Amino acid sequence: MTQTLSRRRFVQLTAAATALFAAGGKAQLGYAPSLTYPAVKVANLSQVKTGQPITFNYPDASSPAILVKLGRPAIGGVGRERDIVAFSALCTHMGCPVQYEGGRFLCRCHYSMFDPAKAGQTYQGLASSWLPQIPLRVDGKGDIYAVAVAGLIWGRVKNV
Amino acid sequence: MALIPRRDQLPIPPKNAKVYNTVCQYCNVGCGYKVYVWPVGEQGGPKPSQNAFGLDLSTPQPPLAGQSYTETMHAVTVGRDGQQYHVVIVPAKDSPINRGDYSIRGGTNALTVWSLDRGTQDRLTYPLLRVGDQFQAITWQDALTLMGLLIKGIRDRDGNDDNIAVKCYDHGGSGQGFEDNYGAGKLFFAALSVKHIAIHNRPAYNSEVWGSRERGVHELNYTYEDARLADTIVLWGANPYETATVFYVEHMLPNIQGATVAEKQQVFERGEPAEPGYLIVIDPRKTSSYTVAAQVAPDRVMLLRPNLGTDYILANAIARAVWEKGYYDMAYLQARTDMALFEEYKAKSLKLSVPYAEFMAQAERITGVSRAEIEKAADWIAKPKAGRFKRRTLTIYEKGIIWNMKNYDQVAAIVQLAVLTHNIGRPGTGCGRQGGHQEGYVRPPAPTPGSIYRGGPPVNVDKFLTDGKGKFYWVIANDPYLSTPNNQVFRKRIHERTEKLTKALGAGGEPGTIRERAQKILDVLYQDPDALFMVVQDIYMTETARDAHLILPAAAWGEANDTSINCNSRLLRLYEKFMDPPGEAKPDWEIFKLVGLRIAELYRAEGKAQEAAKFEFGKDWKTDEDVFLAGAEEFGDNRVSEEDEAKLEAENYKGVTYKLLKELGQKGIQTPVRRDPKTGKLVGTVRRYTYKFGTPDGKFKWYGTDDWEGYPAEVAKYLEGEKARQYPFWVTTGRAQTIWQTAYHDRRLPEKALALPLPYVEVNPEDARRLGLQSGDLVEVYNEEGNGTFLVYVTDAVKPGTLFLVMYHWRGTSNSLVSGYTDPKTTIPWYKGTRANLRKVAGAIPSVQQTASVLQQNKFD
Ligand code: SF4
Ligand code: FES
Repeated sequence: MTQTLSRRRFVQLTAAATALFAAGGKAQLGYAPSLTYPAVKVANLSQVKTGQPITFNYPDASSPAILVKLGRPAIGGVGRERDIVAFSALCTHMGCPVQYEGGRFLCRCHYSMFDPAKAGQTYQGLASSWLPQIPLRVDGKGDIYAVAVAGLIWGRVKNV
Repeated sequence: MALIPRRDQLPIPPKNAKVYNTVCQYCNVGCGYKVYVWPVGEQGGPKPSQNAFGLDLSTPQPPLAGQSYTETMHAVTVGRDGQQYHVVIVPAKDSPINRGDYSIRGGTNALTVWSLDRGTQDRLTYPLLRVGDQFQAITWQDALTLMGLLIKGIRDRDGNDDNIAVKCYDHGGSGQGFEDNYGAGKLFFAALSVKHIAIHNRPAYNSEVWGSRERGVHELNYTYEDARLADTIVLWGANPYETATVFYVEHMLPNIQGATVAEKQQVFERGEPAEPGYLIVIDPRKTSSYTVAAQVAPDRVMLLRPNLGTDYILANAIARAVWEKGYYDMAYLQARTDMALFEEYKAKSLKLSVPYAEFMAQAERITGVSRAEIEKAADWIAKPKAGRFKRRTLTIYEKGIIWNMKNYDQVAAIVQLAVLTHNIGRPGTGCGRQGGHQEGYVRPPAPTPGSIYRGGPPVNVDKFLTDGKGKFYWVIANDPYLSTPNNQVFRKRIHERTEKLTKALGAGGEPGTIRERAQKILDVLYQDPDALFMVVQDIYMTETARDAHLILPAAAWGEANDTSINCNSRLLRLYEKFMDPPGEAKPDWEIFKLVGLRIAELYRAEGKAQEAAKFEFGKDWKTDEDVFLAGAEEFGDNRVSEEDEAKLEAENYKGVTYKLLKELGQKGIQTPVRRDPKTGKLVGTVRRYTYKFGTPDGKFKWYGTDDWEGYPAEVAKYLEGEKARQYPFWVTTGRAQTIWQTAYHDRRLPEKALALPLPYVEVNPEDARRLGLQSGDLVEVYNEEGNGTFLVYVTDAVKPGTLFLVMYHWRGTSNSLVSGYTDPKTTIPWYKGTRANLRKVAGAIPSVQQTASVLQQNKFD
């Protein structure tokens, strides 16, 4: 079943999209997503080809991300085959860019590798935190929206 | 939304957070970490003046150069004051070892602290007593009384301590250090005289490297900088990308990439060529330490894959090629090595009486490595550089050599190759262990001084116990139900023996008081010699503890001050206490002290003051530092010149105090520490054996290794007739990047437990095709020793016809399939070689297959 984003929910999400850092506030110990994220259109289902990654920035301009159709079902995958996923493209080890190659994310700084079908889990390498997955929603027109980040983007204490 | 709990913001340590220096609890590398602790409810701000990092956190950290603070580096714990505290543990940027880098193991240090909202809440918090089929809470008071009455009862009846068997660590890190080791040593070797004692990961009390030590070379002789300076690095049965990760990525890989050439130019002699390094990996598997390096410098990386067990033949063959090509310095050999013994080496190891071509043909046949590869390795290791400068080669070996068959000869052959080529004691050289854990050994003299050539071999305590001997078995901070060889047999036998006592104790009603219980236990132990009492001292309920009669809760890393050295530079640092142990858990040294004092009280009550005094070794130990300082007395006088450093014990720290270590912080000091006779100051030893070797006359002691004798009977039985068809696979075993040892913490962390939910077996694609296997399938791997259920990873890491099993997984240890063979010279097992077969099991465990990644771990292209 394809998950779709209702128009109403979409408006709610964009209206709430703010990226403020509250200094000295209480520690937030809730699980992600504990912040308000923008909904950002990444692509339309018709543009997404198996194995051809689409890069975008999310939740802001300094946070590269990658959307990819894996060709195998994935945890959190959208689309008819439930194989379209998106992840932060900053390695959770020390922040280098990861590439989508050969069906997985690879970081060439110290060779951490993450499985995009298994929630971005580190299956080899140094990254102790899994790659943050970007939950996706698809609306009635087939537009794919990034709607949150499940996991902390490297180098930040707060995603937005 | 996410498979495992994820966070998208983390608390910021406030300016007033308590800050501690420590070192990773896990591997040999000993990466530096910083710990921040502050009460829940408070938080710092993003400006450098508002947080304890002193960083501007309002913009993202720069990649690589910035401070890593990720989801796995924060936890909440509860103090003994009943308040919640944030604990943040991040890699230290001021550590020369890791420079802010970290691995997947150390990156979860914070998650391992005792926390009520995580799996680590399973920590043992008070002593437990088995009553029938239950564990009941008891007080330390009663637990110590029971221990005292039993130990004293046994030694009083026997007149010796031979029925007391112990299995205890000898290492640093992991919450142990010089303090805990010294406590154990005083109780077992000074107060008691325990001779049936085995070390955490093997059946006896022995060095794993007597083959090197008895030559005059302690196994920790190089410094981490040597990995940056070497012309060639040899990784022999060592896979540091996965087991010494930061050492590999921060220091070896930059060398292979050519990023350390400028450092070489500074250190090398004038005119000496300084180029990007070469790497030789010698391993039956195509390990990721090879495949990563092959990505960065394919032309400077070589993989040799000898047949299992044949490494010493290969080392001797490379040495013979070195000899034939004249890649040695006779003046050095004559000045620094025992030339009388060198004749034995030439005859037995180099076999100079056998013509070269014939020798090489034999070596090729035994090892499966071609003469061309052997000669190429000799060139890379020892061929002089342009201008006739000696090549600088650093050889690092680990469990592939140590836990090989013929432990003694394997280790000796490799260190001899290094000395033959003068690859020791110079910058960029060395020949030593990679190490598994960190070290921190200081004890009174051990029961067995050395190998079969030096008063050994030591007793096989596993065999002692499975033979039905011994009455009291004390297992401390290790899990033999996962870690001993021939594990299935061992487990079943210990279960059988402990259950005999349990049943007999319950017969006629459980004894009411501790004194009655102790009396009844002693009665049963002497009525039924097969009955066995077992006490387990640990931080969690282990597999072994299931059969224990008494469980003692111990403190973990960070819950006491301790000191250890790392393996790659013998760097001594203070691991500061940053939180209390949970509940009533205590540091090991304190438990040993209290057991001793209780036994002493019992002797005093009988008027045996002299015997009592022996057990009062800890009466003045108030703090961890008291134990540290007491331990220093075991070391010899360290007022020696730099030229005489070889005379010192590798871990000698005489004169060092906690105060000094606090001042030194992450910089630490490299053991052996000397008090320089000229200046009176304490100085560390960067690199060993520059001037002399560690023997009475300072000369290296050669040894003639054995000829190839084929495989030991325990494995050879699988190579003949019907059994060769029934068990067609060679099996080797080893570690994985993600988990540490028995995964005692990792199995409680979803990041790790979901990634490696079951033990796995690597199968070559050819074998997988033939057998209809795919990654993610479940198979039973079995032989006559034992069996287990393993998840299949199809990978070219193993050759066709060979399987690799991950060690120590809590859901089934590879050691169930390993034989009871040990090297007759050292009593070290061959954990890494046996034969087996596998069969696909019916059905599947879909939940596991859906969540665990089975992508190929050694493929980086
Ligand atoms: S490489 Fe070893 S010491 Fe360093 S963080 Fe990893 S486990 Fe800890
Ligand atoms: S930054 Fe990606 S593996 Fe180190």
